[in-house]
Amino acid sequence: MNNLRLIISFLALSTLFSCASNQKSSYITSDSISVSEFSSSVEMLISNTNFLEDEILKINAKNPSVQRILVNSDVYLKEGKLIQANSELERALRITKEEGAIYLRLAHLRLIQGLLAESKSFASRALLIKEISSWERLLLNVYLKRPI
Amino acid sequence: MKIKLTLGSLGIITLIIVFVISAAIVAIIDSRVTNKLDGVLWTIPAKVYSRSLDLAEGSQVNRSNLIKEFGMLSYSENKNPSKPGEFIYKKNKLRIFLRGYEDQKSGLFEVSFKDGKVTKITNQLGISVDIVKFEPVAIGGMYPSHMEDRILLSWSQVPSILIDTILMVEDQNFFNHKGISLRSISRAFFTNVKAGDIEQGGSTITQQLAKNLFFTSEQTIKRKVMEAIAALLIEFHYSKEEILLAYINDVFLAQSGKRSVHGFGMGAQHFFGTSISNLETDQIALLVGMLKGPSLYNPRRNPNNATKRRNLVLEILQKGRHINSTSLEEYKSRSLRVVSPSFRSETKYPAFHDLVRLELRENYEDSELRTQGLKIQTNLDPVLQESLENSIKKTKAQLIKKYGKKLTELEGAALAIDIASGEIKAVVGSSDPSKFGFNRSINAIRPIGSLVKPFIYLTALNKYDEYNLTTILDDSKLSIKSGGEIWEPNNFDKKYHGKIPLHVALWQSYNIASARLGIELGYDSVQETFNKLGISKSIERYPSLFIGSFEMSPFDAIQSYQTIAADGFYSPLRSIRDIKDLKGDIDLSYPYKIEQRIRPEPVHLLKFAMKQTFISGTARGYSRKDIESWQAGGKTGTSDDQRDSWFVGFAGELLVLVWLGFDDNRPTPLTGRSGALEVWKNFINDIQPSSVKKNSFPRIKYIWTDKKDGLVSGEKCKNSLLVPFIIGTEPNTIPSVRNRCASNPKRNQSDVMQKLKKVFEEGQS
Repeated sequence: MNNLRLIISFLALSTLFSCASNQKSSYITSDSISVSEFSSSVEMLISNTNFLEDEILKINAKNPSVQRILVNSDVYLKEGKLIQANSELERALRITKEEGAIYLRLAHLRLIQGLLAESKSFASRALLIKEISSWERLLLNVYLKRPI
Repeated sequence: MKIKLTLGSLGIITLIIVFVISAAIVAIIDSRVTNKLDGVLWTIPAKVYSRSLDLAEGSQVNRSNLIKEFGMLSYSENKNPSKPGEFIYKKNKLRIFLRGYEDQKSGLFEVSFKDGKVTKITNQLGISVDIVKFEPVAIGGMYPSHMEDRILLSWSQVPSILIDTILMVEDQNFFNHKGISLRSISRAFFTNVKAGDIEQGGSTITQQLAKNLFFTSEQTIKRKVMEAIAALLIEFHYSKEEILLAYINDVFLAQSGKRSVHGFGMGAQHFFGTSISNLETDQIALLVGMLKGPSLYNPRRNPNNATKRRNLVLEILQKGRHINSTSLEEYKSRSLRVVSPSFRSETKYPAFHDLVRLELRENYEDSELRTQGLKIQTNLDPVLQESLENSIKKTKAQLIKKYGKKLTELEGAALAIDIASGEIKAVVGSSDPSKFGFNRSINAIRPIGSLVKPFIYLTALNKYDEYNLTTILDDSKLSIKSGGEIWEPNNFDKKYHGKIPLHVALWQSYNIASARLGIELGYDSVQETFNKLGISKSIERYPSLFIGSFEMSPFDAIQSYQTIAADGFYSPLRSIRDIKDLKGDIDLSYPYKIEQRIRPEPVHLLKFAMKQTFISGTARGYSRKDIESWQAGGKTGTSDDQRDSWFVGFAGELLVLVWLGFDDNRPTPLTGRSGALEVWKNFINDIQPSSVKKNSFPRIKYIWTDKKDGLVSGEKCKNSLLVPFIIGTEPNTIPSVRNRCASNPKRNQSDVMQKLKKVFEEGQS
């Protein structure tokens, strides 16, 4: 019983603390989504990297030339050739920096490489692109929410 | 169980320990010897290339730049391109017969353009193709594992008179000893006593080579023993010809600034401006004579010593019957004939080469780079590089015309990088860019003047609950005690400007308001911003820091502005794209790194103020259309007494920084605007950057404010400016004097749109 009280108190304090810290930098965090608002399928995205990867690779670039490069990169990624996959993504970025699909893959690649801070930064950078879909935005938020 | 230690067993144990330690020392020396000498003997130069150009649907292309690049790739114009290397660019269509590169097959392709963008690419069958890839431009060779400039000679390139001279002077018994020669030591002793001077050294050539491997010049018994072991190991592993060749390529001949001159190939270039095969006997005698004391016998610094030493070497040659007495007298009568310091450039772009070399040293292991036939693909854009070089030269000529010959010795440095990725596109380290020498882009550490101010203002804007662009700053007289003295900064126009909004103080570059702001923010806060921008150096705690006493190299300065231009995302600058070997076994790359250092919104506000530099400030002159399509912004900088002229500016995807000044730090007649900005403008006007799309900042709201009091104004009010604010930090008081013009329906409409946009975007996120 005492333990239960302790857990409830801890949870209450954590919630209060997180609310307080959120309030302090309200504008800072408002372009990302609160985890509690995620549906169960999104929870799955966060917890299962393979499922997440499948979703990321379904995101196509609007520019057909860029899309062709992304297909090459995806093949390398599936083969575990991460350096080559990265080179292709950089090649795509040199053509355009306006495709969320490139940044999503870069965020995912860095996640696989264990570079979580960089993964977040790529996701964060992609959120500055004007023409980005809601689904891309949501997926980018998945990378932003990963604990470092 | 007790172990009885007898004197005998102790002796055996001691012997074993001594043996193991000795074996380990020998193994370490052996590995060092083979590593170093293999590098000297077997390395062949890596080939260095520019970036390869991809053209894809949607690629932004500047026609004239493209044609310039075709010229560099030796493509020729032909009405009907029918073989590799031919093209025709007519109206908005390019027909080109590609040579083929990597996965790009050779063949005829047609590329269509509209409004500076690729719209369609087809192959010779008329089938649509997504991308065509051009081969990169070869920009030179280098020896990656040496990390220095070298001209490595092969045995067939070494003149026989050089071999004879080295052997006569340094080691006459070279082909007979095993690394150490008691005979050489004793003969040197007697020769020197007889001559009354030191004509010969006791060390063999092998010992001298071994000495170079241990870097320090301390004369200790331990060091001599190590050298002797190394000499024996060298003789064990290598033939006499290989040892002599390594010596010829590795020996230290001179120090020129920060650059060491190693090897006779480089020495010939450095002192005589030509290759070793063109040298005459007296010139070779001079170089060999320098081995005894590179500084003491340096022909530029000590010509008398050098002449005496050369003549002595010539006499030794005559004694050895390598030259006759008539030639001896003829050679001795000649002057030294050394030329001004010059290094043959193994590359077209020496300053860029320096960066490649530095990056190799920082990021790759020596063993990774030892493979033969490496191919280093860099990020250099050859068209931008040529243009940046020409801009420095052209501007210098214009400035000399305007200010006179006192600017003949004016020097400069400039860098152009891709903002988002940190890829280095072009670098210039001298006003004579093709010359090897002091590379100012990395080595000139100079006060940055007002280039420091955006760092101070960013510190303020990052404290978004305390400062915004219209926060009022005080530009009245400031007098404070600093370092025991009274410090009173002045503005460039020697005037005080009273109360002014923060953004005005920045784009007008007011010193007093900036200094007061810096003091208010505190050194720790400012240091924190410096660190976020990639500046690792600690700031000195003097208020003059806030108006530009801080010193940086152009390279470090552009790195810190990269984070600003990229909306707070730091990416380390990179000159190398990847390194491959011929077989494809090696594939090293230095990938695109990104780190969010500062939130984009405060940086966006800073960039707004930097854009005003082009609209109303020190860099005005460009059309509003260009400024908007390039999302341009910049900052001028001038140090005390106009010793340094700086400009940094972003336009399109490029960030370009320029420095001008004298090497001896004397004052120039130039400000940032009249000097460095002119280089920037010449460059940007030549390359015409592509337009970029605006980023999305849902948390930013634009409000009409008054340029003087910073309070709410309206589009129709006089002196008003549309200024960005982080939502929740915007001013909302309309002064009564502007009640009528500020309650403009347009403003309200814009407000409503902003609210709708906010609701919509929050719904998306």
